[in-house]
Amino acid sequence: MKSLLKPADISVPSDSLCRIEPGDLVPLPAPYDDFNSRVPAPLKADRVKNLETSLDDTVAVCIPRPQTKEEEDALVLKFLSGLKKLFEKENNWTFLQQLTLSMEHCARCQTCSSACPVFEMSGGKDIYRPIFRSEVLRRIYRKYLKPGGKWLSKVQGDIDLNWTAIARLAELSYRCSLCRRCAAVCPIGVDNGLIAHEIRKLFSQELGFAPKELHEKGTVLHLRSGSSTGMNPPAAKDSVEFIQEEMEEIAGGPVAIPWDVEGADILLIHNAGEILAWPENVGAFAILFQAAGLSWTLSSEAAGYDAVNYGLWYDDVQLARVALRHADIARRLKVKKIVLGECGHAHKALTVVADRILTGDLNIPRESALVTLEKIVTGGKLKFNPEKNNFPVTLHDPCNVVRSMGIVEPQRRILRKIAPRFREMTPHGVENYCCGGGSGFAIMSGYNFADWRNLVSSRKKFVQILNAFENEPQDVPKYVCAPCSNCKGAIRDMIHFYDAEARSGLYYGGLVELIVNALEGMPKPIIRFGEKPSWE
Amino acid sequence: MPQIELAGKIYEVDEDGFLQELDKWNEEFAEAYASAEEIEGKLTEEHWRVINYLRDYFQQFGIAPMIRKICKDLKIDMKKLYELFPTGPAKGACKLAGLSKPTGCV
Repeated sequence: MKSLLKPADISVPSDSLCRIEPGDLVPLPAPYDDFNSRVPAPLKADRVKNLETSLDDTVAVCIPRPQTKEEEDALVLKFLSGLKKLFEKENNWTFLQQLTLSMEHCARCQTCSSACPVFEMSGGKDIYRPIFRSEVLRRIYRKYLKPGGKWLSKVQGDIDLNWTAIARLAELSYRCSLCRRCAAVCPIGVDNGLIAHEIRKLFSQELGFAPKELHEKGTVLHLRSGSSTGMNPPAAKDSVEFIQEEMEEIAGGPVAIPWDVEGADILLIHNAGEILAWPENVGAFAILFQAAGLSWTLSSEAAGYDAVNYGLWYDDVQLARVALRHADIARRLKVKKIVLGECGHAHKALTVVADRILTGDLNIPRESALVTLEKIVTGGKLKFNPEKNNFPVTLHDPCNVVRSMGIVEPQRRILRKIAPRFREMTPHGVENYCCGGGSGFAIMSGYNFADWRNLVSSRKKFVQILNAFENEPQDVPKYVCAPCSNCKGAIRDMIHFYDAEARSGLYYGGLVELIVNALEGMPKPIIRFGEKPSWE
Repeated sequence: MPQIELAGKIYEVDEDGFLQELDKWNEEFAEAYASAEEIEGKLTEEHWRVINYLRDYFQQFGIAPMIRKICKDLKIDMKKLYELFPTGPAKGACKLAGLSKPTGCV
C-alpha cells in the first residue's frame, strides 16, 4: 500500500514532494490508451536551476530560489505578515467571513476530495486533495495567529514553518483551478477553492509571487496597453474591421460593428482573446445583434474592449483596478447595461465580485450574454432552421457562469431550440467538471505546465466529452459548445494534445456561433469543421 | 533568463524560446532558428513573405495579427501555413519573426 502524505510533510525538504509516475493517472479509454503511460515531460535541470521546483516536478509560479538562509527567513516572515492581513477586516473585508468560516469548520470528511477532478484523475495524489493545502494553511494559521496556538497545534496537528513549506504552498495554490466543485459538495459549506484563492492572493499581494501570464503579461499589460493580449485601441479596431469584412461574406450583406456609441442600450465587452483567436464569436454577436435590432456598442477605450480580469484569480487589488476601469467606461458612455461576452471569469469578476466596490453611478447593471442571447432566440422575431446544425453537440458548463453564478438554463433553452442533436454531459449544470483550464491554467504554459494541464487537470473533461459522443461514428464531426474563452483555450489544447480531431472528430466553439449557424437567411455557414463547411 | 546561440551569436529568450530583446532580431537569427521549429532546409521566399508580414504588422500594432488575417492578406490557406511552419503560426512563425510570445486568452 502506498504511504499517505501528511500536511506536515510539506516542510520536509526533498527534490520532489510528489511525483507522477507512468501508470499513476486514471486510464483513458481507447483509442487514447497510448497516452496512459504519458506523464508531464521532465523539467530541464539547467533551465530551472534557480527556481523552486520541489512540489511535483512542474512549475506555475516559478519562484526564484533564495540564495541565503537570511533571505529565506525574511520571506517566511513576510508570509506570516500577509497571512495575518488575510484575517483582518481592514485588509480583507471582502472575503474575511467566508475565509474564517472555512478555516474554523472543516470536519475532514473528504467529501471534497472525491469531488475534485485533479485529485481523482491524478490517481489519488494526496497533495492534490482540496483539503491538503487548506490543512497546511490551517495549521500555520492556528499555530502562529491564534492565541495559545503553539499548544493547540500539539493537539490538533502541528507543522514546521520554513521556506520549503512556503514555496511549495505557493505552487500548490496553482494546482487547483478554483472550480469550487469541492465547495458545492461540502456538507458544512467549507470553501477550499476560496482558500486556494486566498493563498494565491497572499503570495501576490504580500510577496509579489504570481505566474507571469496572470500578472506581468496579464493584469499589468491589460492596464498598460488596454488588453492582456497587448492589443492597443488601434490594433483592436484593425482586427474588428477585419472581422466585419469576414462577416459580411458570411451574412451576404452589410454587418455593422458600432464603436463608442454614447447612450446605447448595451455595451458589449468581449474577452479580447476572442477578437484574435476566435473572431467568428465576435462576428456572430454582431450579426445576431444587428438582426435582432438591438441598440449596442463596443468601446474602443483601453480596457473597454477586453472584459478579462485576471485579478479574480490571484490579486484583489488588480481585480479592483480592472473592474473600476470597466465600470467607469460604461458610465461615461452612458449605456443602460453592460453585456459580458462568452467569458466565464469576466462574468464573475464584474457581475459578482466587483459588485462590492461599484458604488453609486458606477453600479451599472451587468448581464450575461447567455441571457441576452436567450431573449433573442426565444423572442420570436428571428427565424431559425435547426436542421442547419445537424451534427452532434454537447455543452460544457463554465464553472464561473454555472456553478458560481447559477446561470444554468438559458444556454440549454437555446440549444434545445437550435441544436437538434444536443446531448448533455454527465454530470452537468452546477455539478459540471472544470475544463481544466480554469483560474488561468488555460493561458499558463511555461516549462511543462501545459503538459500537466492536459494530462491531469483537463483529463476529466476530456473523458466526459468522449463519453457524451460515445455512440457517434468516429468520422462524424462533433461540436463541443463552450461559452467561455478560457474553456475554449483549454479544450482546443486538449483536442490538439490528444489528436482528438483525427481520432474522434472533435471540434469546439462558442454558443453564439451555433445560433448564427442556424439563423434563417444566411447564405453561408459560420461554423466550419476544419476546411469543411457545416452545411452547404 | 535562458539564452540560445544561433549563427555564432547569443540571444536572450524566454522559457519557450521567444526572443526577449526584439531589436536584436536579424535575418540570420530566423535562418539559424528554422531547424528548431521543424523546418527542413533553408527558409524559402514563401517563409520570408510570412515573416516579413508578421514583422510589419507587429511594428505597426505591437501584436501578432489574427491567423486568418495572415491567410487572407497573403492569399494562403491554413494548411499551407502549417506546411511552412510545422509548429504553427503562433509558435513557429512568430518565434522566427522575433515577435514576443502571444499573451492573454488566445
